[in-house]
Amino acid sequence: MEFTPGNLLTVTFATYAIGAVAGLCCLRHERPANLLTFGLATLASACGLLAGVLCLAYSPAFGTVRMQLLPTLIPYLSFSIRVDALSAFFLVVVSAVALAISIYSLGYMRGFYGRKSVGLLGAFYNVMLLATTLVFLADNAFFFLMVWEIMELTAYCLVSFEHEQAETRRAGVLFFVMSHIGTGCIMLGFLMLFQAYGHATGDYGSAAYSFDNFHALGDRMSSGSRDAAFLLFLAGFGIKSGIVPLHTWLPAAHPVAPSNVSAFLSGVLIKTGIYGMARVFFDFLPGTAGPPMWWGVTVLSIGTISAVLGVLYALMQHDLKRLLAYHSIENIGIILMGFGAALMFLHTGHPVLASLALIAGLYHTINHAIFKALLFLGAGAVLHATHTRDMEHMGGLAKRMPQTAFFFLVGAVAISALPPLNGFVSEWLTYQSLLQGYGTTDSLLRLMFPIGGALLALTGALAAACFVKAFGITFLAQPRSEHAAQANEAPSTMLLGQGLLVAACVFLGLFPTQFLKLLDPLTQSLTGLQISGQLTVANGLVLSGVNPNGGTVSTLGIAVLGLCFLSLPFLLRLVFARGTNVRIGPTWDCGLQGLTPRMEYTATGFSKPIRMIFKALFRPRREVQREYDFSPYFTNTIRFEAHVEEVFETRIYRPLNRWVLWASRRMRALQAGSIQAYLIYIFITLLLLLLFAL
Amino acid sequence: MIMNPSAPTPIGSQIIMLFAALMLVLQLLLVVQKMLLTNIRLYALQSLMLTVIAAVIAWYYNATHVYIVAVLTLVGKVIFLPWLLNRLVRRIKIVEEIEPLINAPTSMLICGGLTLLGYIVARPFTTLDKLGNNTLAIAIALLLTGFFLMINRRKAISQVLALLTIENGVMLAAVALTSYGMPLVVELGIFFDVMVAVMVLGILVYRIRESFASMDTSKLTQLKG
Repeated sequence: MEFTPGNLLTVTFATYAIGAVAGLCCLRHERPANLLTFGLATLASACGLLAGVLCLAYSPAFGTVRMQLLPTLIPYLSFSIRVDALSAFFLVVVSAVALAISIYSLGYMRGFYGRKSVGLLGAFYNVMLLATTLVFLADNAFFFLMVWEIMELTAYCLVSFEHEQAETRRAGVLFFVMSHIGTGCIMLGFLMLFQAYGHATGDYGSAAYSFDNFHALGDRMSSGSRDAAFLLFLAGFGIKSGIVPLHTWLPAAHPVAPSNVSAFLSGVLIKTGIYGMARVFFDFLPGTAGPPMWWGVTVLSIGTISAVLGVLYALMQHDLKRLLAYHSIENIGIILMGFGAALMFLHTGHPVLASLALIAGLYHTINHAIFKALLFLGAGAVLHATHTRDMEHMGGLAKRMPQTAFFFLVGAVAISALPPLNGFVSEWLTYQSLLQGYGTTDSLLRLMFPIGGALLALTGALAAACFVKAFGITFLAQPRSEHAAQANEAPSTMLLGQGLLVAACVFLGLFPTQFLKLLDPLTQSLTGLQISGQLTVANGLVLSGVNPNGGTVSTLGIAVLGLCFLSLPFLLRLVFARGTNVRIGPTWDCGLQGLTPRMEYTATGFSKPIRMIFKALFRPRREVQREYDFSPYFTNTIRFEAHVEEVFETRIYRPLNRWVLWASRRMRALQAGSIQAYLIYIFITLLLLLLFAL
Repeated sequence: MIMNPSAPTPIGSQIIMLFAALMLVLQLLLVVQKMLLTNIRLYALQSLMLTVIAAVIAWYYNATHVYIVAVLTLVGKVIFLPWLLNRLVRRIKIVEEIEPLINAPTSMLICGGLTLLGYIVARPFTTLDKLGNNTLAIAIALLLTGFFLMINRRKAISQVLALLTIENGVMLAAVALTSYGMPLVVELGIFFDVMVAVMVLGILVYRIRESFASMDTSKLTQLKG
């Protein structure tokens, strides 16, 4: 067998499928089920990763890989696969993250022994991975929708896997409903594309559903239907990726899923929305004339709002996984800022800047997939050890779980966009594209670029604050609960999974120019330019914005400099303080009788300043109840409650909910209870449709 | 009936047209016939016509899978399903006649109107250069009158019968119009769909009868939330 991407992909698909079947076969045997399902998933994702990298690195040699998965019996549907540069990029994202998560799961799933069916979870997990991989590779609208739907259904099953708790069931249902509203929008969008192609060429056959033929379809559509398709896809893929205000399912569903699944949901699944947008907005819809200005403006605004609101709400959380889920909204916002800017540059005719902004968005996509998966896996390890998601019950874990703490710290530094790790690189590229955008147009809309840049800076600062809180409260100081005090380090497979992602974070941070070369075929196919050469200065040691007078940065340099300065104190100590006594004593406690966990800074307390600054948004509310005998200064019991209002929930979703219920009650008049009446409804509908067809 | 002069095999086309027309006639008889057992026999006869049409098409196009469809129709809808329904009727011991909601002359008028509608709707297809090109009108007419039949009956078992005639209409369109275009899988799918539906409905009818001492579905008005 030859070592080609096509063969590797066949192995990948087959192995995922075998993994799923194996999981179902050993429902009763937990240990073999765990080994088989996640072992096979590891193998499959490794093959997928290799295939994706081969496709990107040797794109001229392999060209666009095409395959026919199964013979088809049904007209219009073909199970065809096409791996072009964009698909290969996302194949790399999904496989890299899946590889780490699968290894991690080998250890993590032991926590489920005797409690839940490991084989079932493994089977769902493999099917979800297979379907998600196929979503990125499908070359036919029907096939795409099929695997999209399988992906959503398996994800729903996994989200509500621990369905004994009411919270989980509610989150599962919300996820299910929101996903399907999104799918509905996407279906309508594809139907519009199909109709446009059929109308233009007169071919309404199966070719009219092929992604190949959707390329640059925007030229053949009227501007009205093109805009409608844009909005449908924006809503459909937006729900999946969790843009504000369609994000409500995300912070509900991610925390309740098993942690390895939440890592996949947050790292990869929401990226299917990003893939869809990249595919539709850059490949299908714009024609030779480029997209209209307002598309870019819309996407950029949505991205900015999502970024800022996502991080603000994240700061208010004290559930570790919920906090991470809100950060996903923030990072999706940052990705969309890149995409929005790219659309605007395409409109104004600046393909180089458009490529830069697109690269920034895609770079952030893979970065977010990696560090968010890393953080969720870290949160899973903590959850595994302490059996709680509430940060107020953690603390002191750095001493008990040193490796997990270190890995989480690396993830936190990366997501806070601190140099030299990968989050910094992609956000820096986003800044570059936004700042250079000011000169691209004379209209007032150019103000959006500096405003977007400023808000991105705000987002970065708030994210850093948030992760100071997340890391500090969780890992530092003294344990706040019995569980946290007795926590043990995670097993080695869990650490290995996280370690792989840490390595990826460091590589993508220190050697961005190496990675950018892989994106050349991608920008070539979407904007017609290869700009990695312009982004690279000094043999790839320094990264540059495209503009020669603009900024340059070298993360490698920063890292080397940092290491030098970090070793300076040790050197000084070696030189000047040789031979002095070292005394280890307790932390100074102001003369009290020792420090207790009750004196620690709480998560809620830490975020109070920000809650006060953004009072208008959060509308914080608190209730204090004291019970005392003779003086309020000597209370017997005290109860404190603090709430933050979720504006979108209370202002949009609840009124909408009430309205739907009201309308449904009105509709109930139709439900007469008589079979004949129902038959007549169907009959009348049929007649109307027939007459309408005339 | 509009005959297309350029049809590939006029005799075959005429045979198909004849039997399709007979199907429609049988359908109209079903609408006015009140005896349940006779209704079942009429349905069996209608299915037999469908078998003949399928066999003729298979002969002219030399299409093996259409032969399979013909055999399946013969075994399933001419022999097995009528036998099943007959047994059901005898087990429940229905002696009384069907009581339609609308009387026979009005029903005939409505069915005439529906047939006309079928012809109007199918007009764009009659110019297709294909065997049995104008059976689509009859198929649609069968479908619409079948639907009307379903609304017009009160007894659950005669509603099942009406559903079966609708399915005959669908099958006619599937066999006559797309003979070699429609994959066997789809036809098998429809076929087993109907089989299972009738089995389930038969059991349901029996249960309804047991629980409510009647099969009159117009009495089941409390099933709502």
